[in-house]
Amino acid sequence: MTENIVSPGSAAEGLSRIEWAKQFMPALFEAGQDLLESGALAGRRVGIVLALEPKTAVLALTLSEAGADVAVYADAASTRDSEAAALASKGIAVFARSDADEATDVLLLDRFIDWGIEFLIDDGAVATRIIHTSRRDMLPTLVGVAEETTSGVRPLRVMADEGALEVPCLAVNDCDAKQLFDNVYGTGQSVVMSVIDATNTQLQGKEVVVVGYGLVGSGIAGAAHGLGARVTITEIDPIKALKAVHDGYLVQPLREACLSGDVFITATGVGYSLTAAEAQLMKDGALMAVGGEGPPEIDLTGDPSVRLGDEVRPHVREVHLDGDRSVFLVADGHCSNITAGEGNPIEIMDLSLAVQCRAVHHLAEKGAGLRPGVYDVPPDVANATARAALARKGIAIDTPTAAQELDASSWRTN
Amino acid sequence: MSAEADRSTIADPSLAPAGRQAIAWASRNAPVLNGLLRKRLGDGSFDGVRVALVVHLEAKTAFLATVLADAGARVVVAGSNPQSTRDDVAAGLVDMGIEVHSSRGSAYEQWEKDLLSVADTKPEYIIDDGAELTLRMAKHRPALFEELRGVSEETTTGVARLHALHDAGRLPFPVMAANDAACKYMFDNRYGTGQSTVQAVLALTNFLMAGKRVAVIGYGWVGRGIANYVRALGGRAVVVEVDPIRSLDAFMEGHEVAPIADAIADADLVITATGGMRAVGSTHFGHLKPNAVLANAGHHDLEIDVAALHQESSGVRTVREGVSCFDWRGGKQINVLAAGALVNIAGGLGHPIEIMDLSFAVQGLSSHELVVGDYAPGVHVLPRRLDEEIARARLASEGVILDSLADDQFDTMQEWI
Repeated sequence: MTENIVSPGSAAEGLSRIEWAKQFMPALFEAGQDLLESGALAGRRVGIVLALEPKTAVLALTLSEAGADVAVYADAASTRDSEAAALASKGIAVFARSDADEATDVLLLDRFIDWGIEFLIDDGAVATRIIHTSRRDMLPTLVGVAEETTSGVRPLRVMADEGALEVPCLAVNDCDAKQLFDNVYGTGQSVVMSVIDATNTQLQGKEVVVVGYGLVGSGIAGAAHGLGARVTITEIDPIKALKAVHDGYLVQPLREACLSGDVFITATGVGYSLTAAEAQLMKDGALMAVGGEGPPEIDLTGDPSVRLGDEVRPHVREVHLDGDRSVFLVADGHCSNITAGEGNPIEIMDLSLAVQCRAVHHLAEKGAGLRPGVYDVPPDVANATARAALARKGIAIDTPTAAQELDASSWRTN
Repeated sequence: MSAEADRSTIADPSLAPAGRQAIAWASRNAPVLNGLLRKRLGDGSFDGVRVALVVHLEAKTAFLATVLADAGARVVVAGSNPQSTRDDVAAGLVDMGIEVHSSRGSAYEQWEKDLLSVADTKPEYIIDDGAELTLRMAKHRPALFEELRGVSEETTTGVARLHALHDAGRLPFPVMAANDAACKYMFDNRYGTGQSTVQAVLALTNFLMAGKRVAVIGYGWVGRGIANYVRALGGRAVVVEVDPIRSLDAFMEGHEVAPIADAIADADLVITATGGMRAVGSTHFGHLKPNAVLANAGHHDLEIDVAALHQESSGVRTVREGVSCFDWRGGKQINVLAAGALVNIAGGLGHPIEIMDLSFAVQGLSSHELVVGDYAPGVHVLPRRLDEEIARARLASEGVILDSLADDQFDTMQEWI
């Protein structure tokens, strides 16, 4: 019988880091206060699937303090054991071990689903998909889902189109207060920083190839460019490619970019975006990292002359190629900002998790009346979240005058 | 156990494998040290020459030590700041047969003792950082100091100290101001310290730079780099300077310039880069915004007056690794990163590898000049042609090709003289 967490003794260290994060999360605090006052979640069961680190721990504690019963699941690569212990010490059901192998992760996820979730905060639609397939016995309990990521909203929409989705889902990812900040600035900064932290390398003068120019890719490109790199974008979507050209980047097919790039970061959220065939084209010493969804986004199987070697520094694995060359893979192809770093910065997660908190609040009040489908988060959620973050920075904004409002709402020409 | 290991004083020899792994990674990313420098040092001029290397003791420094040793030098190593020594790297060096005196976090007295142990090996040349060993030899080992044949100095602070020593008529040997070579200050101070300082601050705090207000105290090469990286990641830098030309430079670069009391009043982060003392001290704490985070990128641990902050605070606790939170005068919280030591080294990985490849190429060639050249006592700078050789070597390793002027492209001024 595997225990659900690794080291219950390390709670104090985790609590200290959680406390640090909490003081820089004003928007989540306010969302939590609203939830507490409404009583909407008192005694209800909320399951959270998110990378388990200090900021998501603050969300779990906020929901718990608002009266909910809370459970958390994270896979091995996304788990910090001391934060897991900290949450467990506060009465939260935690299913997350950093030392779990694939089978243990499956087991822990199953226990998490067994726990009985009414409101699910999901990441990559991981638990939602299982509950709709092998664990349909838990469907009657599930009231609604709030999905965190681009890569989770996509399968949910496919499920809805196929008529396979049986609960209402809020696309938290698509909320402006999340995607305009989290995906761009948060992931952009933290992925680039995690790569240079892990390798002790410098971006000034480097050619950084960003695979995929969605919001995450554009954030990564911006951070790399800011740090002095020449950035090349590879895309399959003509609109995004054209946007990259207008942002001043070189756009090339990936196979061409492979010949000259020094650092490759994928931001597609799609499997097999970078494979052994591309790795074979790279220069000796090139670095590869994932900023999207993780395996199999970079997949190096299938070519016997591309062989995984030793971990030459923490989070940096050598990959041997033809002809005595080697390249290096950061965080074994998992999201490098989460596995080799500490996830997104605090202030960004404040926004995203405040939206999550308000989304669950909305589901608790309205979810039972919603038909299955993928919904946008109500617009007042984004505004309330942004206002709380601005207020903490002491920044005031304007309000429209009566004349402006009249003009904005009329269609007749004068 | 080797004689070198026997003489060494380090924290834990069993950490050698991790240290050697880190040194190997540095080697892998050092095309100029492995190419140009090894070739130049291979002329036999370093055979049996005693060299003391006193620079922040981490992987890149250790790799330089091995390159010098491979050229035949008898190298003894200590750290220029005990907060920045990596014990695994120290162990790795000893394992490779190099004498080391340094332990991370050792007290000031022990650190000085380590430096004097290096002095007592009677070095002929020093590769120094902050002139820490040179000054101590002048004071505590005057006879050995007189026998020194040359010093190559890494930092702005150290060069200023050595100039002062020279002006006082107390420099009996030549000094190479490695810091003042273009391939050092243009890249190391600006990009290296700039990038790695911002990197360390973000890693220690888990902060987002976008939307942050950051006061940068001092706008030399280091401050310039920091302010520009802050802006590049979406932060707003406000620069504090005492020098009118640097202030104007910051202003023209598009940064806000303000007196310190105004600059820190709404700053989320305050980063010192003056190379001096007490850039942020007792008179400033009252102006800081509650929960502000202070970090130091300059040479001294004393740039943020942490001792004064201790005195004026009712308590201090570690809230995250490398983050000390002071309860200042009971009411306001003030955070200090890496205990006020150089944040990029004590709280991070130090400079990027590629930058140190340039800086240590300058150090290596400067030392070589001291050994083979005929320099009078005083402070010198690496000849321009050697500076250019380093730049060319690095560009060549990146596959960059340069143009050269054609005969008819030269200015015609000769006709007028």
